[in-house]
Amino acid sequence: MFEKTYQKLLIAIASVLLFASQSMAQTLVKGTLRSSVDQSPIEGASVLVKGSKTGTQTNAVGQFSISAKPTDQLVISSVGFESRTFSVSDISGALDLQLTPSKSELEDVVVVGYGAQKKITMTSSVSQIKGAELTRRPVSNMQQALQGQAAGLTVLDRGGEPGRTSATMRIRGTTTFSGNSSGNSSPLIIVDGVEQTFFNLNPEDVETISVLKDASSTAIYGSRAANGVILVTTKRGSAGKTTVTYNGYFALQNSTNDPVQMELETYMRYQVLAYNNSGLTVPARFQESSIQAWVSATDRNKYPLPNIWFQNVLRSAPQYSHNISISGGGENSRTRVSLRSSGQDGIAPGYDASIREMRINNDLKISNKLKLSTDLNYRFNYSNSPYRGDAFNFFLHGSLWTVPKYDDGTYGLSPQNNNPLMFLEKSGYNKISTHYLYGTAKLDYEVVKNLTLTGQISGVVNYQEQKAYQNAYSNRDVTTGGSLTVANNLLTEGRSRFTELTTNFLANYQKTIKKHEFRGLLGFSEIYNNGNSISAYRERFYNNDIQSLGQGTNDATKNNGGSDYEFGLRSFFARFNYAYDSKYLLEVNGRYDGSSRFAAENQYSFFPSFSAAWRLSRESFFQKLNLPFNELKLRGSWGQTGNQTVPLYSYYSSLSAGSYTFGGAAVTSFSATSLADRTITWETNTQTDLGIDGTLFNNHWNFSIDYYKKRTEGILLALPLPAVIGFTSSNQNAGIIDNKGWEFTLGYKNNNHKVQYSFLGNFAITTNNVVDLKGSGPFISGSDLDPRYIVAEGVPFNAHWGYKTNGYFQTASEITSYPTIATNTKPGDVKYVDLNNDGKINADDMTVIGNPFPKFTFGLNSEVSYRNFSLNIFFQGAAKVDTRISGALAEMGIFEGFTHQIFAGNYWTPTNTNAKFPLPRKSDQRNVNTSDRQIIDGSYLRLKNIQLTYTLSPEISKKLGIKGANVYTSATNLVTFSKLNEWSLDPEAESGRVTYFPQTRLVTIGANINF
Amino acid sequence: MKQYQTYIAILAFSILTSLSGCKKGVLETLPNDRISSEIYWKTESDARSAVNAIYPSLDAVNLFNLEGVTEIGHTNTTFTAEYNIENGTYDASHSRIQTEWTAGYRGIYLANYLLDNIDKIVTTNTALISQFKGEARTLRAYFYSKLVGLYGDVPLITTNISAADGKAITRTSAKTLWDFIDKELSEASALLPNTYAAADKGRITKGAALALKARANLWAGRYTDAAAAAKQVIDLGVYSLLPEYGKLFSLASENSAEVVLDKQFLTGTVTQNAFSFMGPYSQKSSGSNYVPTKTLVDLFPMKNGKSITDPTSGFDPKNPYLNRDPRLRFTSYLDGDPLPSGILFKPVPGSGGGDEIGKTQYNTTTGFSLKKYCSAEDFAAPGASGLNFILLRYAEVLLTYAEAKIELNQIDATVFDAINKVRTRNDVGLPALASTLTQTELRAAVRLERTIELAFEGWHLFDIRRWKTAETLMPGKVFGLTYYTSAGAPVVVEVPSVDKAFSASKHYLWPVPQKEKTLNPALGQNPGW
Repeated sequence: MFEKTYQKLLIAIASVLLFASQSMAQTLVKGTLRSSVDQSPIEGASVLVKGSKTGTQTNAVGQFSISAKPTDQLVISSVGFESRTFSVSDISGALDLQLTPSKSELEDVVVVGYGAQKKITMTSSVSQIKGAELTRRPVSNMQQALQGQAAGLTVLDRGGEPGRTSATMRIRGTTTFSGNSSGNSSPLIIVDGVEQTFFNLNPEDVETISVLKDASSTAIYGSRAANGVILVTTKRGSAGKTTVTYNGYFALQNSTNDPVQMELETYMRYQVLAYNNSGLTVPARFQESSIQAWVSATDRNKYPLPNIWFQNVLRSAPQYSHNISISGGGENSRTRVSLRSSGQDGIAPGYDASIREMRINNDLKISNKLKLSTDLNYRFNYSNSPYRGDAFNFFLHGSLWTVPKYDDGTYGLSPQNNNPLMFLEKSGYNKISTHYLYGTAKLDYEVVKNLTLTGQISGVVNYQEQKAYQNAYSNRDVTTGGSLTVANNLLTEGRSRFTELTTNFLANYQKTIKKHEFRGLLGFSEIYNNGNSISAYRERFYNNDIQSLGQGTNDATKNNGGSDYEFGLRSFFARFNYAYDSKYLLEVNGRYDGSSRFAAENQYSFFPSFSAAWRLSRESFFQKLNLPFNELKLRGSWGQTGNQTVPLYSYYSSLSAGSYTFGGAAVTSFSATSLADRTITWETNTQTDLGIDGTLFNNHWNFSIDYYKKRTEGILLALPLPAVIGFTSSNQNAGIIDNKGWEFTLGYKNNNHKVQYSFLGNFAITTNNVVDLKGSGPFISGSDLDPRYIVAEGVPFNAHWGYKTNGYFQTASEITSYPTIATNTKPGDVKYVDLNNDGKINADDMTVIGNPFPKFTFGLNSEVSYRNFSLNIFFQGAAKVDTRISGALAEMGIFEGFTHQIFAGNYWTPTNTNAKFPLPRKSDQRNVNTSDRQIIDGSYLRLKNIQLTYTLSPEISKKLGIKGANVYTSATNLVTFSKLNEWSLDPEAESGRVTYFPQTRLVTIGANINF
Repeated sequence: MKQYQTYIAILAFSILTSLSGCKKGVLETLPNDRISSEIYWKTESDARSAVNAIYPSLDAVNLFNLEGVTEIGHTNTTFTAEYNIENGTYDASHSRIQTEWTAGYRGIYLANYLLDNIDKIVTTNTALISQFKGEARTLRAYFYSKLVGLYGDVPLITTNISAADGKAITRTSAKTLWDFIDKELSEASALLPNTYAAADKGRITKGAALALKARANLWAGRYTDAAAAAKQVIDLGVYSLLPEYGKLFSLASENSAEVVLDKQFLTGTVTQNAFSFMGPYSQKSSGSNYVPTKTLVDLFPMKNGKSITDPTSGFDPKNPYLNRDPRLRFTSYLDGDPLPSGILFKPVPGSGGGDEIGKTQYNTTTGFSLKKYCSAEDFAAPGASGLNFILLRYAEVLLTYAEAKIELNQIDATVFDAINKVRTRNDVGLPALASTLTQTELRAAVRLERTIELAFEGWHLFDIRRWKTAETLMPGKVFGLTYYTSAGAPVVVEVPSVDKAFSASKHYLWPVPQKEKTLNPALGQNPGW
């Protein structure tokens, strides 16, 4: 959009000048050349009279003068800018000429910690994503928008529950152990200089996102940066005529995977076989007469199908978003106001969410030396889900043979008294409303030339209200007579607030002495966070419509609770850059961080980093080689960062209140529930990074390659203690984990043809290895029926753990000659491998059977434009990753769950001995234990988004009375190639039971209109 | 220039203000939602709160797990941890082996914490301090006797120790531990009152210390000491049997004169979940985690005192629950019994009810379902019961006295009196034992009485271990109720895929948990493991 504006501007200038200069003789043409981006003068640009040898260069302030005839044309070019040809007749010395920076990724200005740098002179590894890339498809949260956009940033998106995110982000792998639950391996998110929540940020407000990956770029954030840093800059007002922009879309969501139950008769006969194989009596339902009755029945209220939840409960659901932004101002004050209203219904009943948001970003130029920015952002986020959050579990488990809903509005009940549709519709609600208020004031003061002081004060207030109401209800299945009564309605309300105040104080200095360029930054930052929460509970309300806390029964069942906490961070940091001739680049960072999370003697730690780069392409010897490189840079960095996210007050020896009772009255009790360790301190992350950046073939191609190695030491580990001391574990800085990998980015852009084409691809390799657990562990979690993970030295973090298998036992003699996992093994049972050859199959035979974190991740974003149409196609995927199927999906129908059609005709029988699945055995889990059989290759390639945009021609826009507009249609999650497809599993889903909100596919229409 | 100075001043002022906004520095954030151990141990109430903190380590619902690995109970689903113990396919890394060890030493730590620190408190009320010490020492002895009963030799720890010490400690012989337990309970009983005022009901009494002493000595095979301690409890005159066995496990009978030691609960506040854990499946779509077996049900004699295997007993196989020892019906739900929801318990296959065997994998597999502790009072809120869990009651004291005296062959009227009191309780009403019984016959009688009287109260595993009967009682299939086909043929329900196992060379003691042994190889291991 920027370019277009610029082109228009140039045309305008040109046309004005056309009148001013007619026939002239050889004359002195004067001009000043500036960059169209920051209006800075361009030095050393070549100015050539076309078709001659006459030429000159611009001086330090961008001025040039050259003799030319009025009919001549001047070709002006400069490294890093697009060449331009001007007619002499167009040029007047009084006017500025502008060059647009060339389309080289390396020329971009990149936001870095506490500042911005030209990508070309950067020495560290940072990926930048433009705001426009984030708004191509509707997203439920910002993590989704970043998926596949940057090498080294892995986003796992776990489904589409409206208003609540379950996506996780990892920059360069998992760095700590507790990351699974508490998000300690998540990157630090800084929005406009302040740590903020990310998932519900308005994508339309984002100007750029920088993903800081290596230690050189992150060390300036010290103790919070071990997992990388994501810097977000929001859009600001631009000077000129006020523009009003509308962006909006409407999308329809549908579930991407609906597992289908085995066909009725096949299933019933399969069950008979399974009972027989276990030597069990075949229950009445599966007797031949019953099978006949079921198969021939037409009344599915009396003879319900075994499992039709996915087909019956899920539906299409709308999602919309409207954004209006107004931007304008003059030289001294600029403003951008943006408003958002968005909403989303769930594809299952009982779910919905909405956001109302406003942002005002102001820039005020008080004087030439003093600038003030004041930003304000308010967001109201609402989401609602059914009280029973576990309904999706019952889509597959414990809900067979149930009529979803009878015509009279009552529900069927499964033998286990479940009905997920009833839970979704009847159980009540769980509403969460969040008010988020962010305000900042930032003052920049240029004390003397090249020395700028910046002070920033910000506050974030997050206030959340939660109200969960369980309805009292009862339901009788009119066919089976089964009944379920939830006798008491009950209400839990919660309020929680946190306030975070941030103060930043920066001093920036830069100085250029001949070819030596120095830049320095000194900074101080302080963060203070406090929060509290209260909760209250009452039950037995008059009826389900009475939902006010005060109306619940006032007896011993009422309950309340609360918490209070605070923490702080005080930091001093500095950065020093040196460049010689823009050729040899050096950067040093350091941060001295103090955190209240640690005991006084361990609060402070220092995090340094060093990096250097060499712009090979600036060397004359390199230029003489005549290689197709426009730019080639080698860089390397080393540095340390920390992780401070230990539970608050871990070091503090405290006694917790417990509950007991004597003689019918509660009494107070106090005891220590954890062993305090005052020596707990930072986890330290040391990272080395080597990289190459370059552009080729007239800047049409650009690439970037990085190799990194990072080691986290002192990982807080719940080291097991002998239970005899009264505690089973204590947190200590003990673990070491390594991550290393490669990152590749390749881009191509061609703007010179009628058909414009561009793409940007990224590819990352991540390997992870637990190095040291200080002799503790291995820590094994899970069970035979659910994913079993191991944290052990020498294997990836949380690797899949279980048995290896070697086909099936085929003959009786094979069974007697090899150990079995259970007695009465028969041909067709799984042959687990006796790894340690001790003649027994037990836990000692387990080994690593899969990798839960993708080794390879990739994304490819490409765009083709022709005339008014442009097509954007975005692929994204992962490879070398394993998924452990579990629950009903994996259990072959041996318990009381869903039975996937995949098993039909595909199991061992004496005549089908090479079947994909073993002998089905009712109520006997021997063939479905955690083993390599349950591990499915989770690699996938997904057409994440395809978008077709039509841009209105200027004539039509004019007729419509608008400045411009485009309309688009897109489809998200349209096609996925994955082995998990046959299991009806989304490849991004976490291993384990399918109990989560389903992943969705979206079809969208949208429009952007400029008024 | 002047105006810039103003701006700088504003800037500096704002920054300073924000810095000093919180009076203490941002790094000095001390928690206000918890109590530091450094300011503790000043007042009597500190001591009281620390004593109170030991009681939650007493056992409750978890005791059912231990019944599920004896011959009288069955671990109802194959994916419950105890299933492996029942089948003998467990090793030192089994979760239950670890949790019992951990829970025991957690209780011991809490008692030691009090005993290490209580003398810091300056008070004139020394009697109260003594009482607290008595409570702590008795509770500690309780934890130790359970640990010795399960594991044999275990480390003896009588003060709080460091992690380093914990990694080097060795096991003390069971004999020394029994000596320690006996001495502790003797000394503690001297510090404790006979009874408490209403507000302290449930605290350890003198009787509790002595009754635990009797139990421990019985387990240790020290019959003289066991009989003497039981006699002391009897002679206290504080305890008597509740006239109705059927009301023992109800809210109305809490703190009755039969209760010697219990874990106390309070509806809505401090709760247990026995009903939802053990109740019939039809009642709350959960439960039936451990179920009674045919073995247990068949042990209950006829009302006339004769075993159902006795041809003269009058046992009618077609009406197997008619005229039986009433305790059977108080212990287990039987086919046709009314349930708290108002429906009947119908476990027979094909009967179509919510409790039908095989209807879901959670339904009882034997056709019996525990009634003791699954009180109808808890039907509405089955996971939040306030019913106290009785850990030691007077009936046990009487039976302990009788058993010890029988083993000592000091059979006199007091022995018969003790057993008969239990048998002839108002709503039990079995005939008294014939006074002509020999020592061997009496031994069998008192063991049977103990098994059925205390069934599913958590201690049967310890009994069959010390009687050394587990190796004969345990192995084999698990059976349930008997029903009749339409043709009139009897069918005994056999629980599929279970083979109870017990190896005499190994299973009389649990192994030292794998994790503990890894952290501290000096612990060694029990024979056979």
